[in-house]
Amino acid sequence: MTGSHTHPNTLDVMQLGIALPNGHRLLRDVSLSLRPGEVRALVGESGAGKSMIGKAVLGILPQNLRVTGGEILLEGQHLGAMTPWTRRKTVAQSAALIPQDPLTALNPARRIGPQITDPLVRIHGWSRAKARDTALALLDRVHIRDPKRVMESYPHELSGGMRQRVLIAAAFAPSPRLIVADEPTTALDVTVQKQILRLIRELQQETGTAVLFVTHDMGVVAKISQKVTVLFAGKVMEDAPTERIFTDPAHPYTRALIAATPSYADLDRPFSPVPQTLIAELQGAIARDDARHQGAAR
Amino acid sequence: MADITAAAPRRRARRLNLRLWLPLLWLGAVALAAIFAPLVAPQDPLMQDLMLERLPPAFMDGSEPGYWLGTDSLGRDVLSRMIHGARIALFVSLVAATATCLFGAALGLVAGYFGGWWDRVISRLVDIWMAFPPVLFAVLLVAVIGTGLTSVIAAIALIDWTRFARVIRAETMVQARMDYVDSARIGGARRLTTLISEILPNVLPSIIALLMLEMGIAVIVEAILSFVNLSISSDDPTWGSMIAEGRNAIHFAWWVLLFPLIALFLTVLSFSTLGEGLKQRFDPVLQ
Repeated sequence: MTGSHTHPNTLDVMQLGIALPNGHRLLRDVSLSLRPGEVRALVGESGAGKSMIGKAVLGILPQNLRVTGGEILLEGQHLGAMTPWTRRKTVAQSAALIPQDPLTALNPARRIGPQITDPLVRIHGWSRAKARDTALALLDRVHIRDPKRVMESYPHELSGGMRQRVLIAAAFAPSPRLIVADEPTTALDVTVQKQILRLIRELQQETGTAVLFVTHDMGVVAKISQKVTVLFAGKVMEDAPTERIFTDPAHPYTRALIAATPSYADLDRPFSPVPQTLIAELQGAIARDDARHQGAAR
Repeated sequence: MADITAAAPRRRARRLNLRLWLPLLWLGAVALAAIFAPLVAPQDPLMQDLMLERLPPAFMDGSEPGYWLGTDSLGRDVLSRMIHGARIALFVSLVAATATCLFGAALGLVAGYFGGWWDRVISRLVDIWMAFPPVLFAVLLVAVIGTGLTSVIAAIALIDWTRFARVIRAETMVQARMDYVDSARIGGARRLTTLISEILPNVLPSIIALLMLEMGIAVIVEAILSFVNLSISSDDPTWGSMIAEGRNAIHFAWWVLLFPLIALFLTVLSFSTLGEGLKQRFDPVLQ
């Protein structure tokens, strides 16, 4: 681990393995770390297991998945060693989520206000008034006009972009040390995507929160992150600083991913999908690995 | 899922919702009549007068003033008996449906959200319970624990909680998969807190609709039990016992059967329509 001994890393994921009940492996010994204030992008195709890492950290994995091995440290504390409720509190105290789909991430039957302030009162022990003031200030900060009215609104009264702003405000409200941003711009249209991305970056820089930014968009990676983890079929392909990923990618899959990214700035630049031969080759290597893994387990 | 929300229209100017107001009007009238029965009823519902037997309703030849809907074979006023019968019908439907709802919905919520063993035990119990034919079950129950209002209410609750448990379990499972549940958990909400303050508000419109439906069903079950003489003592007027008595005289005094039947029909229909109306009214997304 790279963190100094006095200040532990905000997040350490070590050798994390997750599998379906039938034994099919979804994550294969994934390791990554985030230092305080750092932004790490987690990239890969859909199905590569990107979101699952974030879910494992936050403790919201689907019930049917099994953690087969590894350890998660949040600010140096072993989450795996905790009782469920201690873990729940620890996560709530230091981490938050900016979810992928703003339409389902807000409770349709409740007003916006309490959805932001509930965790502040419940976990951080703030007074209702203080929580409300913080929420209003943050809604204003994410450029929502008339925050008082929005606090009284139901989610269906807001547009998708507005809801994502609300969710960003809610994520930053308890001043977490870690935010998992799970493809926060995927469900939005392109013009809104840019604003939301800029907003997350601004708030991240103001607050110095470490962010685990899950995305499949290499263009977004370049804009927001300092470190990149490239994932394929639940396995880490490459882990490097962002500049190096773009100037000198070490892994052929990383190179293929970059080549597959269309550029909005330069529409004439050619782009090509990740070659099938490369995918087949990588999958073959992983299958051999799995077989050896099973052999060792026996 | 997401698209439905996005496509939901903004608050429309609310026009008068007949599905809400017509049933409310009828049920309000029945409720008022039931509460003030001794004041409203034109005659004593138990008073027999063989001189006045089988009088036709007021709009027919041979009617007597003061007997608006005619009299039965013992000369008792049909309208007065209906008004007093409404007391029992409404009391049973309110108490029985509420008890059924609380019990069934609680089990449905727990099974749907906690899953695992909770779900397995509750679901199997529902399966077993539903294997019994309901009316036979009710008759058997009342026969065993004895007639009377309490037994009728207990019978309804014991039979129909499965309806709530099944429907609410399914709805809860749908809601439990929503991202907002994960958000609440990340925000440090306990499982029970999540169930009550996040999921329950979203399931509530369905619970209300079912509750109204159940009130209608309770009215019917009470009528059935009265019909076979297993409700309260046959002297007290109930809609079911009136229908049973009217059946014998259908060829020469159809009004004794028809008017309680209409009251029963309208009340049951009103409950179920009101349920749907309320569901729409209280669902923030459908609004």
